[in-house]
Amino acid sequence: MATFKRKRRGAISVELEDWEAHMLRELLGQMRELLQAEDLKDPVIARLYPPAYDEAPDAEAYRELIGNDLKNSKLGAIDDVAAKLEGEGGPLKTSLSEDEFDAWLRVLTDLRLAIGTRLDVTEEMMDREPDPHDPDAPALSELHWLGWMQESMLRASMGGN
Amino acid sequence: MSRTISPERVRDETIDESSQEDRPWLVIVWNDPVNLMSYVTWVFQKLFGYSMEEATRLMLDVHHKGRAVVASGSREKSELDCFRLHGYGLWATVSKSD
Repeated sequence: MATFKRKRRGAISVELEDWEAHMLRELLGQMRELLQAEDLKDPVIARLYPPAYDEAPDAEAYRELIGNDLKNSKLGAIDDVAAKLEGEGGPLKTSLSEDEFDAWLRVLTDLRLAIGTRLDVTEEMMDREPDPHDPDAPALSELHWLGWMQESMLRASMGGN
Repeated sequence: MSRTISPERVRDETIDESSQEDRPWLVIVWNDPVNLMSYVTWVFQKLFGYSMEEATRLMLDVHHKGRAVVASGSREKSELDCFRLHGYGLWATVSKSD
């Protein structure tokens, strides 16, 4: 499984197994397509770009104001993560600067939000062990795996392992 | 319990006396079933410079009460804070204090 460790001068070292790097690349590609298509009726897009106001006119004015800034920021973070995953398969060893660490956490969050929204998860579902016979089990496992990576990253950044 | 009502009323009247422009805008973060508690705490520390203790308190408010006010100020600042929170995948909205 993925390992994150704190190094000197605040950098975080990352080790991913072959399948983990492969799966991350796949998920990044899917997320990039989703963000570029920007189908506002897609519940995932609605979750990634929440309305900033309860009142529709204010929410629309805000959306006009930010334009593509949020989308570009999310796509930029995906590029930062993808750049670290380049290679020809096999286990991956790399290290993350503070900005790259930040981009990784944001991208893992967006991936989790996308999967969680597709599955329409509840807190109760998140606390339960996935039932292997559930057709959603593979996606739920991905969700937990991404969350596990986030927890490991945050622990590493605080000096733990 | 009822004893707490009257001081709140007094405070509300004080706020009502100020002009609309003086009322701060609030940045509210809403609970969601996906984001991890540790991550939400980290985002609050990172974006607003809260201590671990304060960030954890706000995160628990979001988790248990469904929402928490994480920042306040001018409308422009609140919109920027909201934008940054959306960049980190948190469900945030801006509203006028009342």
